[in-house]
Amino acid sequence: MLRITNLGKSYGSARVLSGIDLDVQPHDVLAIIGPSGSGKSTLLKCINFLERYDEGEVRFGGQLVGYVEAGGRRRPATERETNRIRAEIGMVFQNFNLFPHMTTLQNVIEGPIRVRGVARDEAVRDAERLLAKVGLADKRDVRPTKLSGGQQQRAAIARALAMRPRLMLFDEPTSALDPELVGEVLTTMRELAAEGMTMVIVTHEMSFARDVASRVVFMEGGRIVEEGPPGKIFTNPDNARTREFLARVLH
Amino acid sequence: MQYQWQFAIVLEYWPIFARGAVTTLQITLLSSIIGLFIGLLVGVSRESAGTAVRVVTSIYVELIRATPALVQIVWLYYCFPIIFGVQLSAMTSIIVALGIHSGAYISEIVRAGINAVDTGQFLAAKSIGMNHFTALRRIILPQAGQKMIPPLINEFANLMKLTTLGSTIAVYELLQESNNLIATTYRPLEIYTFLAIFFFIITYPWIWLSQRLERRLKMRA
Ligand SMILES: Nc1ncnc2c1ncn2[C@@H]1O[C@H](COP(=O)(O)OP(=O)(O)OP(=O)(O)O)[C@@H](O)[C@H]1O
Ligand SMILES: [Mg+2]
Repeated sequence: MLRITNLGKSYGSARVLSGIDLDVQPHDVLAIIGPSGSGKSTLLKCINFLERYDEGEVRFGGQLVGYVEAGGRRRPATERETNRIRAEIGMVFQNFNLFPHMTTLQNVIEGPIRVRGVARDEAVRDAERLLAKVGLADKRDVRPTKLSGGQQQRAAIARALAMRPRLMLFDEPTSALDPELVGEVLTTMRELAAEGMTMVIVTHEMSFARDVASRVVFMEGGRIVEEGPPGKIFTNPDNARTREFLARVLH
Repeated sequence: MQYQWQFAIVLEYWPIFARGAVTTLQITLLSSIIGLFIGLLVGVSRESAGTAVRVVTSIYVELIRATPALVQIVWLYYCFPIIFGVQLSAMTSIIVALGIHSGAYISEIVRAGINAVDTGQFLAAKSIGMNHFTALRRIILPQAGQKMIPPLINEFANLMKLTTLGSTIAVYELLQESNNLIATTYRPLEIYTFLAIFFFIITYPWIWLSQRLERRLKMRA
């Protein structure tokens, strides 16, 4: 479903990603862990082309993301071409990024109406179902500022799901939350995984990664250092740097 | 000073002041509308359009901001017709010139407003596949708008004062009417004093409102 090959990106002279290879199959839950500044967020943003990449390729459903191939060369894709792919990939941010001038319901129906061209009635019905699913049915007419952090993040998840994505990206979805609110967001994500949603999750919640992920990727210095099933990565990693990192974050 | 103030003269000629005031307000309103239109267009394109558009619009903004409004007005009134063969009436000239003038400042207000919106908002809008224009219209500008209102009101007050420049090309706004009145009544002290008070009365409420809204926005942030 998602195939990343030899992906590289630099900011000016600073190399942020190099030689990233990654393969995500339907229903995979991929957890990306690694120290701060290792390029996790950048990798996630390259997947839906919120960041441009310079080398290699990202393919979603076989289609090249951000570029179009023509006669052996590639040109930047038009905004419309990129948006068509983005509409099928949901993204959840560390800081929620809900639209503050809209109610929870309006946040959720905005994408379906403006991007997918769904009729308003249908969008509202769908949004109510999603809000109920994330436990926010009674918050539909409330502005995001009136919600707790955990509720905001669940609303953001509902907003992403309303686009009926085939893939969900999460960038440290619980890092901005008070500790007592982390659980409710992780529960929502756990349910999503159980329903078979394909997910790529950047997280510092190691126990969550261990329980929910089908595979774990450890990144450092813009490279993938090690990749494997959680049972292996968390108990008996091959790489010394992975071991060091886990020793540091698990205690 | 033994001067005998005779403000009765102002009362006596009130229809002339009223006529001037109407013209002043007309100029203010119409040039504001033009300025708002240009400012929105230029401000948004400086933030999003391609390089060519960005170069042209920044030249416009810098050119306007680095030349006096008075020079812009006389240029449009005296030079524009010679170069382009189209003579604009004095009234049209002042409205258009002030519109173009304020457009440059308003575009900077718009730009600052857009930049003040959290970049995460653009990311969120793009992540659901929204195109740039829709994201601006639906997500960014409504949030930027709130921050833009106080400086826009302030700019409106500025325009109100700038209308007096119309007197240099014989537009019958308040200052020009006053000058004419002085030529027949020989009462500059009363008339200019009244004019100053009158401008204060029509301008200050906007400045006050702008400051008040600004403070309220800060408190909420
Ligand atoms: N817009 C930018 N311009 C220049 N450098 C950037 C930019 N964004 C990120 N970087 C750099 O790229 C590197 C990777 O950043 P990235 O945000 O992807 O790391 P991360 O693994 O997500 O870190 P964290 O755990 O702190 O979120 C960092 O060294 C960062 O300083
Ligand atoms: Mg990050």
